[in-house]
Amino acid sequence: MVPSWPPVPPPPGTQAAAGFASPYQTTAFTPVQVRQSFGQPYPAPQPAYPVHAYGSPSHVTQSPQTNHSPSVTPASPAPSAEPARKKTVWPESVRNYVQRSFLPANLDDTVSRQEMEAKLKETITAANDGGYMYTINWEAMPLPQQMIKAERARSHTVQPPPAIPTADPSFSSPPAATSKKRKSSDLTDTDLAAGAWRNNGNRLEDRVTFTADKRLTANESPKTMSKFQKQQQKNMEKRQKRFHGDYTTHREPSPPPSDGPVVGTCQTLEKRYLRLTAPPVPSQVRPESVLRQTLELLKQKWRKEQNYSYICDQFKSMRQDLTVQNIRNEFTVEVYEIHARIALEKGDLGEYNQCQTQLKALYQRGIKGKPLEFKAYRILYFIHTANRSALNDALADLTTAEKAERPIKHALDVRSALALGNYHRFFRLYNDTPNMGAYLMDMFVGRERLAALCNLCKAYKPDVPLRFITEELYFESDADAAQFILDHDGQHLLEDRNGTVVFLTGKAGQHFEGPRAAAFARVDIKGQI
Amino acid sequence: MDAIFDDFSQAQKQCDGNLLSQTLSPALSNEELRAIWRTCNAYDVKSVVKRGLQTSEIGKKGAIPKEELQCWTELYAAYWKSAGELLASSQASWTKVYEDWKEVLSILIRGYMSCGFESWTIPCLFVTGKYLREFAIKADAERGSSLDNAAEPNFQDDFDPEAQKNHCLEDCARQLNRVFNLCLSDRAPLESSRKWGIYHVANLLFKTYFKLNSASLSKNILKALSAGRGDMPPLEAFPKSQQVTFKYYEGVLRFLEEDYVQAEKFLTEAWSMCHNNALKNKELILTYLVPCHLLTTHTLPSKKLLEPYPRLQKLFLPLSQHIRKGELHQFDIALQENEDELVKRRIYLTLERGRDIALRNLLRKVFVAGGFEPPKTEGDKPVRRTRVPVAEFAAAISLGSQETLDNDEVECLLANMIYKNLMKGYIARERGIVVLSKSGAFPGTGV
Repeated sequence: MVPSWPPVPPPPGTQAAAGFASPYQTTAFTPVQVRQSFGQPYPAPQPAYPVHAYGSPSHVTQSPQTNHSPSVTPASPAPSAEPARKKTVWPESVRNYVQRSFLPANLDDTVSRQEMEAKLKETITAANDGGYMYTINWEAMPLPQQMIKAERARSHTVQPPPAIPTADPSFSSPPAATSKKRKSSDLTDTDLAAGAWRNNGNRLEDRVTFTADKRLTANESPKTMSKFQKQQQKNMEKRQKRFHGDYTTHREPSPPPSDGPVVGTCQTLEKRYLRLTAPPVPSQVRPESVLRQTLELLKQKWRKEQNYSYICDQFKSMRQDLTVQNIRNEFTVEVYEIHARIALEKGDLGEYNQCQTQLKALYQRGIKGKPLEFKAYRILYFIHTANRSALNDALADLTTAEKAERPIKHALDVRSALALGNYHRFFRLYNDTPNMGAYLMDMFVGRERLAALCNLCKAYKPDVPLRFITEELYFESDADAAQFILDHDGQHLLEDRNGTVVFLTGKAGQHFEGPRAAAFARVDIKGQI
Repeated sequence: MDAIFDDFSQAQKQCDGNLLSQTLSPALSNEELRAIWRTCNAYDVKSVVKRGLQTSEIGKKGAIPKEELQCWTELYAAYWKSAGELLASSQASWTKVYEDWKEVLSILIRGYMSCGFESWTIPCLFVTGKYLREFAIKADAERGSSLDNAAEPNFQDDFDPEAQKNHCLEDCARQLNRVFNLCLSDRAPLESSRKWGIYHVANLLFKTYFKLNSASLSKNILKALSAGRGDMPPLEAFPKSQQVTFKYYEGVLRFLEEDYVQAEKFLTEAWSMCHNNALKNKELILTYLVPCHLLTTHTLPSKKLLEPYPRLQKLFLPLSQHIRKGELHQFDIALQENEDELVKRRIYLTLERGRDIALRNLLRKVFVAGGFEPPKTEGDKPVRRTRVPVAEFAAAISLGSQETLDNDEVECLLANMIYKNLMKGYIARERGIVVLSKSGAFPGTGV
């Protein structure tokens, strides 16, 4: 029927994906292509207005010249039952849409024909009644089966489609590894579920090839009509409509995209991050079901490759997709939590802070996640930035019950130990930090060591064994402690006395005050909250 | 409405800014609002107001330039509209009230900018600004309960969680900032300058910023004020009420920056000028002044000082008592009990440092209890025992809590005391004793 259709049905599991937007799915990682798709005019509302706020008329007027594609017009009118019964003359784009919905390649076993017909009817009637029949981008409209599945996924009433791996519950479980500091990837590695995939390497392979397959199909789909050309075609239709004079009738009701969040239709797992400068295009936004698969993929890639710039980029685009679709649920929380942990591990405080800001708001909405872990991070972070009013706010934000929970209690103890100058307790707490808090504590442990040294130098006379410094300030070894002192030009304060090194506190005087003041003056600015 | 025109005329004749500002007050009973609302309708409101102003005593004389009168007309017309919105506010929304009232303020600002409103009328700015803030808070509260911003398109990468919560109040802060600059930038000679409104507006802005939980924005105001200080009337020349409020906010801002010396200075000034019967204000000042005193001079509030303020008694008296007696554990408990309240007032982290003083007092007790060295020769002045085993201090510290600290931690606490100059001496670790100074082991406490 439609010449541009792939002759071979795509392998099962990729159902609705292949059809539209295919030229853009090739590889999501070449910037040129992303830019290409951005250059495409935003299809939905603008051309509908006779008076334009921004430069879109140029697109409209250009279209007749640039449209070289004779193959766009489908050969036969839609025989499909639903819309044909009506007296109205349906525009070409709608008929194409209906046809596309019933293409065998797009059919989905889990969605019955009745459901699809009902959905189609609903969609098209709404478009007609709403007056945006001619202005909407039918190319980018999700197919009825996709919409139905998206609805199901959203309401969680039905099990998610088989392709979606269920969210890894292991992210919270305590690590079996006894290493002092956890890695964000450890969090998944250590429990049963993660162990399962390790033993059963097949599953991983499956998934990887699965995604590769899918991209391949997308590549193979014929390119007789590019998305851009379709767009041009549509613009021309609109333009003709305008000359017929009935155009203004479609102006009044506001066009649908601005009515609410977009519903994404993009089926590619990976997507490069690009800052939005215009309303998002549904075909370039991944719906939640796809994003869930993306998250699984990214978790694996992170474990295997540890390529932070890639992971960060991918997480940013995921966050963007979630935001533009207004998805705020436990999955959203999970995405932000994982990104925050990875950013923390890599010391990317800018991204970490962005995630934390979001998480705070999400937890406040009562969405489940790991609020204890992340509230504790907040406190540690504010200790690092020495932001007392924010610390005060963080305290105000805690309930009595939360204060008793281990991560938060730990962070509060750290805070009070430092407030009271109790370096002894502080370094014991440092050694026993839950979750990934040690990454945060690492940021200020150096300056606290200097502060403690200042204390020791003034209080102890005439000297103390170096071992005492090592233990009190929690250095890994005497050598580390000595190195720390040497790093701050304290070589004259170390003395070898019959095989034991002593630290001449009595002679130190104000020696460490300068470095201490300097260390406390330096507070990070990047994305600070 | 006629009463408004009469007052307007009267105020214009006598240059009475306060009377004039009363004509713009929306704090009226429903009957009064309804009376205003019924005088006219949306179609004839401007002509009614115009006629009213023109036929009033002052209008007949033609004392007010045409352009200015036109602006007053628009102002009262907008006021009339707000009155209607206020009447409906039980069913309709405070957001609409806010929007309408913002229009009143905008017209007023325009009046000063380009229609020659005189500077004696600035109380009008105060009144409109004050109510704009109140309406904004109400609008935000109302929306907060029924809000979902799902409908708004979002191009950002993340949600902006704060954007919705204080939407109106943030806008209000911007409007007030306009008023602030309107006053600040007036180049007219001082006698007839809008600069006389500056501290009133600054205080209003501080109040708004504190409410928005972004007190740090107040620094911009302080900066602008100190930059323009040269050609501004001195603070002392302003009404006392404005001085006290301004000093209070300046003090609290320093307090939040942990500049306790400066904070104490400003707060003390506010305290000494504050009207005797303004209990609420005095309580607010004391809330921050007491912790300042504790840190800067190690002094505690007396019962008599706190007598009129039961809330402050509850917050400060137990703590003071435990500090005085050196009861560490009880101090901790008292701090914990009031934690929420203290955190809310932002004094928790400051008071927590009072523990140092409590600890100092406890250690001092140990020192005093150690008694005197046997005199080396008869008739010598008795000398206190200055070599105190760490174990004795350790026993004292764990006295209340039943929890024993290991010696290293006790030494750590002692080291802190020495480092902070609360105790003079040194720790001889090898021998497990503290050697205290023979002259003034605990500076400022008489031993």
